[in-house]
Amino acid sequence: MSADTISMRDALYEAPGPKTRRRIVIGTVIASIALVALVAAVAWRFYITGQFAPQYWEFFTKWSTWNYLLSGLLGTFEVALTAGAIALVLGVVFMLGRISKNKVVSTIFRIVIDFFRGVPSLLLIYFFFLVIPAYGIKMSSFWMLALPISLTASGVLAEVFRAGVNAVPAGQREAALSIGMSEGKVMRKIILPQAVRFVIPSLISQLVVVVKDTTVAYVVSYPDMLQNARVLITNYDALVSTYFVVAIIYILINFAINQASIYVARRSGTRVISRNQEDPV
Amino acid sequence: MGLQELLSTYGGMYGQALLVTWRMTVVSYLGAMALALIVTVARVSPIAPLRKLGDFYVQVFRNIPGVSLLIICVYALPNLRVVLDYEACVIVTTVLVASAFGSENFMSGINTIGVGQIEAARSIGLSFGQILRHVVIPQALRSAVLPMTNLLIAVMLTTALASQVPLDPPELTGLVSYINTRSVGGILPFFVSAVGYAGTAFLIGIVGNRIDKKVRILR
Repeated sequence: MSADTISMRDALYEAPGPKTRRRIVIGTVIASIALVALVAAVAWRFYITGQFAPQYWEFFTKWSTWNYLLSGLLGTFEVALTAGAIALVLGVVFMLGRISKNKVVSTIFRIVIDFFRGVPSLLLIYFFFLVIPAYGIKMSSFWMLALPISLTASGVLAEVFRAGVNAVPAGQREAALSIGMSEGKVMRKIILPQAVRFVIPSLISQLVVVVKDTTVAYVVSYPDMLQNARVLITNYDALVSTYFVVAIIYILINFAINQASIYVARRSGTRVISRNQEDPV
Repeated sequence: MGLQELLSTYGGMYGQALLVTWRMTVVSYLGAMALALIVTVARVSPIAPLRKLGDFYVQVFRNIPGVSLLIICVYALPNLRVVLDYEACVIVTTVLVASAFGSENFMSGINTIGVGQIEAARSIGLSFGQILRHVVIPQALRSAVLPMTNLLIAVMLTTALASQVPLDPPELTGLVSYINTRSVGGILPFFVSAVGYAGTAFLIGIVGNRIDKKVRILR
């Protein structure tokens, strides 16, 4: 939520007169009551089904519980950061192939990018989990998770990088060529450094998608936070409370990542190119 | 197993699986759009608690992992005596997540309009309803075409979550593991499903781009 979101929201309305102000107050009261009723209804559900019983929540006061969840979280971060790093490299490579002057090369990379962007990460994870071992290639559960996630992310990142390259004014490239720099040197020295700066906030926000993708770790039985939560559930027989707590932790982490990307975007004066804002074809 | 043998054995199931994926995608997308509209109205309303609730909703559901939400729906809700069948859970999960992103798309569509236009509209005497009808909504919808196209593709990819619950008939991702448990899978069964997804995404992209070219506002 940037500052202009608020202003645009407020710009829709004139300064309220006494009548409107009264209506807004009434609306606010009704909305507040409805909101409280909603929360109460949810709490009531928990209460009548006995989910508030201390046995379901007590173990969250133990250090061992958090220790275990945090070690899972560490696993989540390891996979997410590894996959993110691989995706960064692959993303740049795919993007360079995509914008190649050679028609054959650019078509091939376009198909590769569209393929990885158009396929669910779960399908790729099944590919690494079921198909790769059948060809006699042994892989740890860590890589069975990190590689497919990085592949799906790299397709998206390639397009993000391309948007960054396009954002560098064409005149700069022409100027660099005219003073005798080679195409490769222009890309390396002039365009890429600026393009990367443009897309840093988008890269950070893309980390959210990667973190979300790691939650299917149980498919390959890699101990991430959700997988460790399942073990806690069998130990304490507290399914509802554990799943809700874990969901909240994920929400907070991803929220923090998003806020970080907004912060960086504001500081560097760039825009976040999100997964939903790039050109699909 | 060759492609011909695979398709003669499982071709019908692939067709069915593709239809299941498409059906879940369309149903989820329509639900998500409707919900996104409601959430967006709440977020731009002058009533503070509704705005806060809308913002909160978006932050929660754009940040929650789909798997986590699906698990809550499938395993936790029955403990609270709310029982939904498997497909309903997948659709509910997809709708909740996609509506948060949909509302963000609408909001950025509204934000591109600019305060000046609203002020201009008001100064020539348009009422609030007229401003919405003639100035805000047409522009917001036009600039939301491309993001909403991408959202449709994202919705399709999210329905792959259905492979985590027993579904009969399975959808494209679930079918791959189904075939793998029954016969020697290899790369082909996976590839056929992948082509189903990527091909659909490609078509959606083409249609979306065409609509966008027609209605885009050049600034």
